[in-house]
Amino acid sequence: MDVQFLVSFTLIIATFALYIGIAIFNRAKATSDFYVAGRGVPPVFNGMAIGADWMSAASFIGMAGTVMVLGYDGLAYVMGWTGGYLLLTFLLAPQLRKYGRYTVPEFIGDRYQSNIARLLAAVATIIISFTYSIGQLSGSGVVIGRLLEVHTAVGTLIGVVLIAFYSAMGGMKGITWTQVAQYLVLIIAYLIPVIFMALQLTGNPLPWVSYGEIIGKLQVLDQDLGISEYVVPFTENTKWQFLALMFTLMAGTAGLPHVIVRFYTVSTMKAARWSGAWALLFIGLLYLSAPAYAAFSRFILMTQVAGSAIDSLPAWTTSWVDTGRLSVADQNGDGILQWSEIVISNDIVVMATPEIANLGIFVIGLMAAGAMAAALSTAGGLMIAISAALSHDIYYRSINPNASEKQRLLVGRWSIVLATVIAGLVALNPPGAITQIVAWAFALASGTFFPALLLGVWWRRSNGPGVIAGLIVGLSVTLGYIFLAKYGGFTILGIIDTGAGVFGAAAAIITNIVVSLNTAAPTQQVQDEVVDLRYPEQMSYRDGEVWLDDSQDS
Amino acid sequence: MKKIDKSTADAYFRARTTMIFIYLAIGFLVSYVVVFFAEPLSNITVNNIPLHYYMGSQGAVLTFIILLFVNAVVSDRIDKKFGIDDKKNESISRGNSVEH
Repeated sequence: MDVQFLVSFTLIIATFALYIGIAIFNRAKATSDFYVAGRGVPPVFNGMAIGADWMSAASFIGMAGTVMVLGYDGLAYVMGWTGGYLLLTFLLAPQLRKYGRYTVPEFIGDRYQSNIARLLAAVATIIISFTYSIGQLSGSGVVIGRLLEVHTAVGTLIGVVLIAFYSAMGGMKGITWTQVAQYLVLIIAYLIPVIFMALQLTGNPLPWVSYGEIIGKLQVLDQDLGISEYVVPFTENTKWQFLALMFTLMAGTAGLPHVIVRFYTVSTMKAARWSGAWALLFIGLLYLSAPAYAAFSRFILMTQVAGSAIDSLPAWTTSWVDTGRLSVADQNGDGILQWSEIVISNDIVVMATPEIANLGIFVIGLMAAGAMAAALSTAGGLMIAISAALSHDIYYRSINPNASEKQRLLVGRWSIVLATVIAGLVALNPPGAITQIVAWAFALASGTFFPALLLGVWWRRSNGPGVIAGLIVGLSVTLGYIFLAKYGGFTILGIIDTGAGVFGAAAAIITNIVVSLNTAAPTQQVQDEVVDLRYPEQMSYRDGEVWLDDSQDS
Repeated sequence: MKKIDKSTADAYFRARTTMIFIYLAIGFLVSYVVVFFAEPLSNITVNNIPLHYYMGSQGAVLTFIILLFVNAVVSDRIDKKFGIDDKKNESISRGNSVEH
């Protein structure tokens, strides 16, 4: 057993013990603990929890690699996934908090006075969260598998048992505080290698400032090699695809149920606004570092690996070549490895770079613990969203409204275990490329939830038939476009399947408006409730009059 | 409970909505508009990086973060100007949320 294994293993076990300890300490006792963490989470900590919830294995492991491989075109992900927080915090989160329910489907059902809409939304929540979680589980399988040198499937199963245990135990309350810890682990794990590389390459420890210098050097290197330059825009797809993808990721972010529900855990609208701001600051730390990470990795590969003799490559190459994600072949037979002969997969750039740059065994172990934290925290949040849709929106609100609190907690816990195990089984043999499935989940969220929530909050005339038609049309248009673009070769302005959300969202909004205007207006009470969302908690709107609650608390 | 003038309440809503409109317009400008004009902007450089790439990798994200904090601070000021007490909001919010 080598030292690297022991160090990584110890770091991972230590962080796992921490997460389980937190979950046991914050065990959910009431349904409000289980679904919304008792609604008392302070905004700064909620910001960290949103950060961990939001940043998945794809962000941690895949983001920098995507930017490195795609160049400028990869930045659509950076802007899209951060810009979504503007839509969420400005247009939806505070209002949804004032409405004060447990889940997103519950808001849709009560606001639109429609059981069908609630059930549709619950099913959409399950589908979106489920596909998203498959990526997380198989990601954690890869990390555990490579570390313990067991098969990826065994690694996935270990991840499944761990997530099922601590999310079923702690519910939202346990998950919240586990996510705070996971955020700290993952951000430290991400920043340390970038800062080390910045020091090594530029002598300046601030990667965000010093990577400009490296970008300049990369341009020169690219020109010498005569390949398409790193910073040149739209080399992969059209400008319209870039814009459509960016919109899909933004609207999808604003419509993901497991992220929105995090805003239900704070006390007020004001706390929701601050949560959004803190969340983006904490997320930004990683997203601002990813392009620097990408530039440093590319520079190291171009200057230190390319150009070396093929028979004296460093030891790390063999273990990554074995995973099938890296290929180094001396195609022209001159005994030297050229840049064009290195083919590296997006997904290993972040994990392999610390080894390539020789940052030491502690940093490499920390990266493994960080990647696990990213995968587990997102999977935990997704499992709560699925469990809430099953046990609250479907079981409690539709099947057994007389269920006792104890019964509901039990159903909630078992649906987490069930959902995790099923997602784990699917993840053992993932259906195709995971990044693509994740992109589809965003397209679906922007075609269904984003329009339903936006109109539900901002337009009182929108009604039940409108939202049902909107959900169905948005879903069909999004799925239809994904299918046509992917398999039928049909595209508009070069927009491919990952940008489908822009059409889904537009179709759903138009349908909702047209159908709502042609059917009966919602009841006066519902319309009053929507107008009420314009004001802070202390002001309330009734029958065209606004009241200010100035009573003194005793 | 005291009744307040509908025009005061409308003024509150208008102040908040105007600010949100401005923030979203700025957010749109630094992301979508910059992408749209990526080619001509690439001749300008910031910190050695062509402007379109700089905005995509740092400028836009930094602007988003600043906008969110400005929103949080300005909204608190607007609340204060209209006599909203956050302690009161908290206790009302506890009573109003549907905990079932």
